[in-house]
Amino acid sequence: MTDVVQNLIDGLGAGSTYALLAVGVSMLFGVMHLVNFAHGELLTVGAYVIYGMRSNGISWLAVIPVAIASAVVLSMLIELVAFRRVRSASAFTLLLTSFAIEILSHAAWRIGVSSTPRRYEAPQIAFKVVEVGPFNIEVWDVISIAVAVACFAGTAIMLRTTMFGLAVRAASEDFDAARLMGVKANRVISGAFAFAGLLAGIAGALWLVRRGQADPRMGAEPLLKAVIAAIIGGLGSLPGAVVGGLSLGVAEVFFRSWLPSDLQGLTDSAVFVVIAVLFVVRPQGLFDVETAERV
Amino acid sequence: MTGTTASAATAPSRPTAPASMRRLALASLVANLVLLLVVFAGGRLYASFGSSARDLLVVDLLVNLVLVLGFQVFIGNTGVLSFGHLGIASVGAYTMALLAVPADRKAVLIPNAPWGIPEIELHPFVASLIAIGVGVLVALLLGLVAARTSGLAATMITLAFLAIVRQVAENRKDLTGGAQNLSSIPRLDGWSWALVGAAIAVTVAVLFRSSRTGRLAVATREDELAAGAMGIEVFSPRLIAFVVGGAVVTLGGVLRVQSLGSIGPSQFSFEFTILILAMLVVGGMRTVTGAIVGTVFITVGKEVTRFLGDGPDFLGFRWPVIDGLPDLFLAGSLLVVLLTRPAGLLGEFDLGAWLRRRVRGSTSPSGDSSAVTEDEVAPVPASTTGALRTDGLGVTFGGFIAVDEVTMRVEPGTIHGLIGPNGAGKTTFVNLLTGLVTPTEGTVHLGELELNGAPYRRARAGISRTFQNLRVFPALSVRENVAVVDLVAHAHRSHREGVGVDRLLVLAGLAELAERPASTLDYGNQRRLEIARAAALRPDYLLLDEPTSGMSSAESLEMVGHVRRVATAIGAGVLVIDHDLGFITNICDRITVLDQGAVLAEGTPDEIQRDPRVIEAYLGSGHG
Repeated sequence: MTDVVQNLIDGLGAGSTYALLAVGVSMLFGVMHLVNFAHGELLTVGAYVIYGMRSNGISWLAVIPVAIASAVVLSMLIELVAFRRVRSASAFTLLLTSFAIEILSHAAWRIGVSSTPRRYEAPQIAFKVVEVGPFNIEVWDVISIAVAVACFAGTAIMLRTTMFGLAVRAASEDFDAARLMGVKANRVISGAFAFAGLLAGIAGALWLVRRGQADPRMGAEPLLKAVIAAIIGGLGSLPGAVVGGLSLGVAEVFFRSWLPSDLQGLTDSAVFVVIAVLFVVRPQGLFDVETAERV
Repeated sequence: MTGTTASAATAPSRPTAPASMRRLALASLVANLVLLLVVFAGGRLYASFGSSARDLLVVDLLVNLVLVLGFQVFIGNTGVLSFGHLGIASVGAYTMALLAVPADRKAVLIPNAPWGIPEIELHPFVASLIAIGVGVLVALLLGLVAARTSGLAATMITLAFLAIVRQVAENRKDLTGGAQNLSSIPRLDGWSWALVGAAIAVTVAVLFRSSRTGRLAVATREDELAAGAMGIEVFSPRLIAFVVGGAVVTLGGVLRVQSLGSIGPSQFSFEFTILILAMLVVGGMRTVTGAIVGTVFITVGKEVTRFLGDGPDFLGFRWPVIDGLPDLFLAGSLLVVLLTRPAGLLGEFDLGAWLRRRVRGSTSPSGDSSAVTEDEVAPVPASTTGALRTDGLGVTFGGFIAVDEVTMRVEPGTIHGLIGPNGAGKTTFVNLLTGLVTPTEGTVHLGELELNGAPYRRARAGISRTFQNLRVFPALSVRENVAVVDLVAHAHRSHREGVGVDRLLVLAGLAELAERPASTLDYGNQRRLEIARAAALRPDYLLLDEPTSGMSSAESLEMVGHVRRVATAIGAGVLVIDHDLGFITNICDRITVLDQGAVLAEGTPDEIQRDPRVIEAYLGSGHG
C-alpha cells in the first residue's frame, strides 16, 4: 500500500510537467489544428538560458523568470515567423513545418553552443527529501504539483473570465464563425502561442531545476509525452490534457516498478499501441469533445 | 482499363482518355528514367574526381531515391503524411539480414534466435525477395488501420509504428542483436545494382500514378468530399497506395542494409525519416520528377555543407569547423520550402508531361476532341431506373429542425426545381439525399432501391451532384477531372451508356481548355466543369446545388440552356436547387418550394408563380 501511494506521488510529480505541456499542445490544436512538435524546443531554450545565467553566477530567483520569459518569447516568435504563413495550409504542411522548426532548433544549438551537454548545478531544494510517516516525499515534487495545480486553475479562470479566454474558446469551436463575430485571428493565435509558451516555460522551470544540463535535443522526449497525453485526453480538450498528462506520469511510474526488467524497454511501445487503438476506436479521445464541457 | 467496346451506331462508350493517359505515362516513364540516368552520370563524374567516399555517396543517393519514391507513391498520391514507411523498411531489412547473414556468424551474433533462424542461410537475392514480401504484409496490416482514419490520425498512427519498430528492435536482443548491430550482411559491391533499384522504383511510381488506383487516389487527395460524391471510395485506393509504397520502401531498405553490410535499430530512425521526407517535400511530392530533383538537391546541399562544416582550406581561407551545418541546411531548406512553396520546388511539374506538351503544342492542338462535334451523336437513352423520391425525410441539428418531413418525387427525365429563400434547408436536403448528412427520419428511394450509406455508394447507385461552393479537383487537368469520374462510371455504371469524356468537354465548352489545371479556370468554367464531371458518372439523376450562384442574369440564362443540353445528352433527370425564382421557372418542369425546412408548395412553374403562399414567402422574407 505504501508503495502505491509513493508511486502515485512520484507519478503526479512527473505527470504535472507533462500536463502543463499537454495543455499548451491541446490549446494550439484547438485554435489552429496544429500538433506543434516544436513546442518542446521551448524547454531547450529555457535550459540554455539557465545554463548561461547560472554559469555567470546569477541567482536562481532571477534565472527562473527569465527562463520562463524566454519560452514565451520564442513561442510567439515561432508563430510570427513560421506558423502565421502556413495557418490556412493543410494539416500535412503544418505538421511538417513544426518538425522542421524542431530540427532547425537542434541544429542551431549544436552550431551556436555545442552538441555536448552543458551542465549547471541544481539547487539544494531540488533533491531535498522529507519523511512523512512511511513516505519519502521529495519537496520538489510537492512544489511541482502545487505550481501545476495553480496553473490549471489559472488557465480555467482565464478562459472563463477574460475576453482572450472567450476568444480562444470560440476559436476552438469554430474559427471561421469566431472571426465573423469579430475575433481577431492574429491576436488570438499569437495569444494562444504566448499562453502555451508560458505554461511550457513553467513546466520547463520545474523540470530543469532538477535536470542539471542543457543539450540540443532535450526537448523532443518530454514533448512526445505531452503529445501522447494530449491525444489521450482528446486533442483540443484542455481538461482532457490535464488528465492525460497526470495519468501518463502515474502510469509510467507504475510500469517501471511493476513490470519485469526485460519488458520495461517496451513500455513506450505498449503506450503507442494503446494510442493507435484509441485513434481507431475513439478518434475524439477519451473525453468526448463534442459533449464534454471544454474549460 | 483496357478493352475496346465501342458500339457502332452511337457515341463510342470507351473514352479516349485511357489511351492518352497511357501515352502520358509512357512519356513520363521515359523522361524520368532519362533524368535518373543524367543524375547518375553526374554523380559518377563527381565520383571520378575523388575518393571512394564519393562512390558511396552516389550509391547512397540512389538508395535514398528508392526510399523517397516509396514515400512519394503514398504521400504524393494521397496527400496523407506517413512517418511509418521507414518502419516497414526496417522490418523488411531485418528480415533480409536474418535470412542472409551466414549461419556461422549468426551462431555468434544471435545464437538464441527463435524459429530456427540461426540455421537459415539464403542467397541474398532470395532473402531480399522474401523481405519485400514481408514488407508488403506489414504495410497491409498497418495500412488497414492507417488508411481507415484520415489526416492527422493516420500520421500519428504511423509515427507510433515507427517508434514501436525501433523499440522492439532494441529490446528483442535475441532476434536483432539489440543496439549492437547485426553485421556480416552479404554486401553488394559497385553501383549498378543501385541504379537498377532506382530504375525499378521510378517505374513503379510512374506506373502507379497513371494506374486506375493511382488516379482515384489522387482524386481523393484533391478533394475527399467531392471524390466521395463522384462515387470514389477513399479507403481502397489509399490502402493500395500505402502497400505499394511499402513495397518500394522495403526494396530501398533491403538495398540500404546490403550497401552498409549491417543493420541496427537506429538505422531507420525518425531523423532519417525526416531526411527522406525533406527530399520528397523540397522537390515536390506530387511527381516523380519532383522526388528525383528533391533527392539530388538535398544530397548535393548536404555534401556541400558537410564540406564547408569540416573546416576546409577553401578560397585561400581556413574555414571554421561547424558541427551540424548539414542538419541546419536540411531543416532550413525544408522550412523555407514549406513556408514559401508548400507544393515543393517543382509543384505539379513532371518532365514527361512537360516535354509532351512542348512537342504537341508545336504540331497540332489536341486532336482527340475536335473529332467530336455536338450534332454528330445522338443522346444516350434516358434512365429507366424510376423516380427519385423522399418520404418524410428530415433532420434535426440540436433543437433546430433543418429539414422537416419532406416528401417529394422527381420523375425520370424531368428537370425538377427546389427553391426557397436562404436558410430554407435546400443544401441540407441535397446533403441528405447524397449521404453527407444522416437523416433523423424518413427514407430516400431511387426507383425500387432504398438509398442509404456512404456518399460514394449513393453516387454509384445513380445520383451525382455539384457543389454550391465549387469543389473541382484543383490540381488535375480539366480533362482528368472528368476522366477520373468516367473511370468510376466504367466500373459501377456500365449498364448506362456514357457519352464519353470528349463530348462532355465539348458540351461544357471546355474542349480547348482540356489540358489546363482546373484551378486556373474562371468561375463560370469551373461551374460547367463540375456539371460535366457529375455527368461523367452517367447518373440517373443530376443534383445541381445553386449552379447560378454568383452569376449575372445573362450567364444564368446561358446556364439554363446548358443544363438542359447536358441532361438530354446523358439521359438523366435533374434536381436543381436555387433561390433565383427566374432561373428556376425558366428551366424546370416541376418545382417544389421549401420554406423553413418544410414543403410549402409543389407544382408546375405557372402554378408556383401564381401561388399566394409562395409570393408571400418570397416577397415577405426572401428578399432581404
